[in-house]
Amino acid sequence: MDLLYSALTVALAPDAILAVAIGTFVGLVFGSIPGLTFTVALALVLPVTFSLEATPAIGLLLGTYIGGMTGGSVSAILLGIPGTPSSAATVIDGYQLTKRGKASLALGTAVIVSTFGGLFSLVVMIVSVDFVAKMALHFGPVEIFALVLFGLSTICGLSEKSLVRGLIAGVIGLMLMTIGLDDIDGVQRLTFGTITLQQGVNLLVAMIALFAVPHVIQAFTEYYRNDTQTVNATDVSVELPSFRVLKDNFWLMVRSAFIGTGIGAIPGTGGPIAAFIAYAQAKRSAKDGERFGKGALAGVVAPETANNAVTGGAMIPLLSLGIPGDPATALVLSGLLIHGLVPGPMLFIQHPGEIYAIYISIIVAYICVLAIQLLGIRFFVQILRVPAHLLAVAIVVMCGFGAYAVRNSAFDVYTMAILGLLAYGLMRARIPLTPVILGLVLGPTLEREFRTALILSEGNFATFFSSVTAVVFYVLAIGVIALHFFGQSREARAARNKTKQQQQEKAV
Amino acid sequence: MGLRTVKWIVGATALALVFGQVPAKAEFPEKPVEMTVLFGGTAQTIGQLLAELMSKNLANPVVPVARTGGGGSVGYNYVHGTDPDGYNIVWNSNSISTGYHGGKTDFDYTAFKPIAKISVEVPAFAVRADAGWETLQDMVDDIKSSDKKLKVGASGKGSFTHLTTMALLDKLGLSDKVIHVPYDQGKAPVELLAGRIDAALQWPGQFISHSEAGTINILCVTSKDRISALPDVQTCAEGGAGDLDITMWRGLAAPADTPDEVIVVLEEAAQKAATSDEFVEASKTVGFEPAFTGHAEFGDQIAADDKWIGELIKQLGLNN
Repeated sequence: MDLLYSALTVALAPDAILAVAIGTFVGLVFGSIPGLTFTVALALVLPVTFSLEATPAIGLLLGTYIGGMTGGSVSAILLGIPGTPSSAATVIDGYQLTKRGKASLALGTAVIVSTFGGLFSLVVMIVSVDFVAKMALHFGPVEIFALVLFGLSTICGLSEKSLVRGLIAGVIGLMLMTIGLDDIDGVQRLTFGTITLQQGVNLLVAMIALFAVPHVIQAFTEYYRNDTQTVNATDVSVELPSFRVLKDNFWLMVRSAFIGTGIGAIPGTGGPIAAFIAYAQAKRSAKDGERFGKGALAGVVAPETANNAVTGGAMIPLLSLGIPGDPATALVLSGLLIHGLVPGPMLFIQHPGEIYAIYISIIVAYICVLAIQLLGIRFFVQILRVPAHLLAVAIVVMCGFGAYAVRNSAFDVYTMAILGLLAYGLMRARIPLTPVILGLVLGPTLEREFRTALILSEGNFATFFSSVTAVVFYVLAIGVIALHFFGQSREARAARNKTKQQQQEKAV
Repeated sequence: MGLRTVKWIVGATALALVFGQVPAKAEFPEKPVEMTVLFGGTAQTIGQLLAELMSKNLANPVVPVARTGGGGSVGYNYVHGTDPDGYNIVWNSNSISTGYHGGKTDFDYTAFKPIAKISVEVPAFAVRADAGWETLQDMVDDIKSSDKKLKVGASGKGSFTHLTTMALLDKLGLSDKVIHVPYDQGKAPVELLAGRIDAALQWPGQFISHSEAGTINILCVTSKDRISALPDVQTCAEGGAGDLDITMWRGLAAPADTPDEVIVVLEEAAQKAATSDEFVEASKTVGFEPAFTGHAEFGDQIAADDKWIGELIKQLGLNN
């Protein structure tokens, strides 16, 4: 109790709270601007933490991390361009809600469920850090491969009309990520002997290209064809989600938070995978599944709860095993190390006070997120009053800047332009873009875990069926695919019956 | 006061601001120095701290800029192509040699002029505590007497930890009884804990907490002398690995034609930073040894390391 009390005094000191609040604000700004992510924000605030005391320093980093994770949804919902890879799944229904004039409702829901997801995962972390860390250890290459394969099966649900087109898109995504230096064998792939291509296609750059560039081209073509629809002032009214909406979606939030925490705890997975899997399960379990993709609020609730639950999940292996799950947590790890906190099993024994301070900082960060976002919504939605073609210009600038900032490389700006044109072509050919993102997100993990598993088993393919967990995921994947075909044939039959009926009616 | 006067005052102030900053005698650096960082993780942590501390001793700040990818080759290539005026430096490491000999770059270490060595990191070799191997010799005896192979986790093929693993196991006479399992940075200790691999060669910082918790045994470190973070752990040479002495240095370098007077200014700032209390304090938790040496000595070490790395890569057939 003394420990908790002293942690409270440290973590709730004015400077600590201020550090968390500033971090959250910076994270939100970077997260909500398409092209800039919280990884960039974390790299910028890291040097600032060197001269701070341990608790405010960690608070600043955690605030930035959490703010950034939440901020990604703002541009995903308002502009249809995800601010971070984790919010790519939010675009599908979030942007449709904006088109229907419900932007503020979607934004409000997103921030509230994000906070729920984050705090849920924090509770899981506090209660069962050892247990979850042990579970995470169980996830070796075979299990992660199976999980990712299951993740790929959600392409079925994201393919809109045609599964073939969805698969084409998924394969394009998988292929793009093979460019560059292969980490396992150190071999160059599709680099044509150039050093520049060794860096490969960055996920974030590809994402900007796929979502932002076609959007911009479309805005301009519509402008020159003079068929722009101006948004009425009444369309940008501020409407926050009612308590009833949250109550209706409560179990969905809990399920999504579980998915997010669990996937976050497995090193090498992360936010985007969690968000897509949560979205897919929400769609499958919904009674009105066909409303997904057309502006279902549940389609915002699921991925936003899950991607923020990842923050707490990812802290588990970070703190208890010393393993950063993604580049963002790796930067948080740097900050911990500089302040003398070496993550690992001994951290909980040697520095229990700091651990409590971390927990409290996370809670403070979520309170800040909630306050800043809910107050900010009325300002955010004003962006919809800007004519689309003018907004498009701003988006081009920010995306070019953002693509460069990811790795300080002009190559990434060219990549964005080329992939963007490709994406526009795909869009015109009515090939859905979301499965491309899924391929991009899952491709590298899928390949790496597959090959590592084979190296471990000395080339024996039976290893992929050696684990119960893996088999469960295969069965789930097959189930998803089977349900899809079942659903499709039922729809087709219904459509046939309908036309038959109409013909009969005509005949009568 | 008429509008005209206001304009004059504003104009004069602006001029004063623009020209007032320039000292009478221009002194390097007149603008920020860009330090290209090639990797994330420890490299980035140390690099950012170093830049921060160097900035305190220079007229203009040193700005760390991450240019990752291609095992360091992307960043080296960038700095290689910049003007040799001291405003572009690289946060260098042995990756200059692994990259060149591994066929990732078409220029070698001579494309850069050494400024100063800053730090050293020493890989550690660890096994699971319940494997029952207390010393390196226990492990060697056990593996040699059975027909099973040793699965060792390290980074990808041709990486520094992979080469170190191969050099160590070669000295132990186990080079034909090893399976190299490549992992992303940071994941090998978890795989070791989970029992999917038998041993791992990584940076000490990743093992220390687990070793204190009693789940992992650190058998040896690959340097000639024991390291301060692990005073009780033998060196691999003590444990029977011949004369093995491998360390990974990090330091600063600039394009080859950078003038010496500029190199000296940067070297001095680097020395102050690398010997400061703050840097030494951080080294203990981040897991590296501060090891400043001047540009001449640093150059000799780069050349010497390039030789053995080149030979080992050729021997392993990785020079594609």
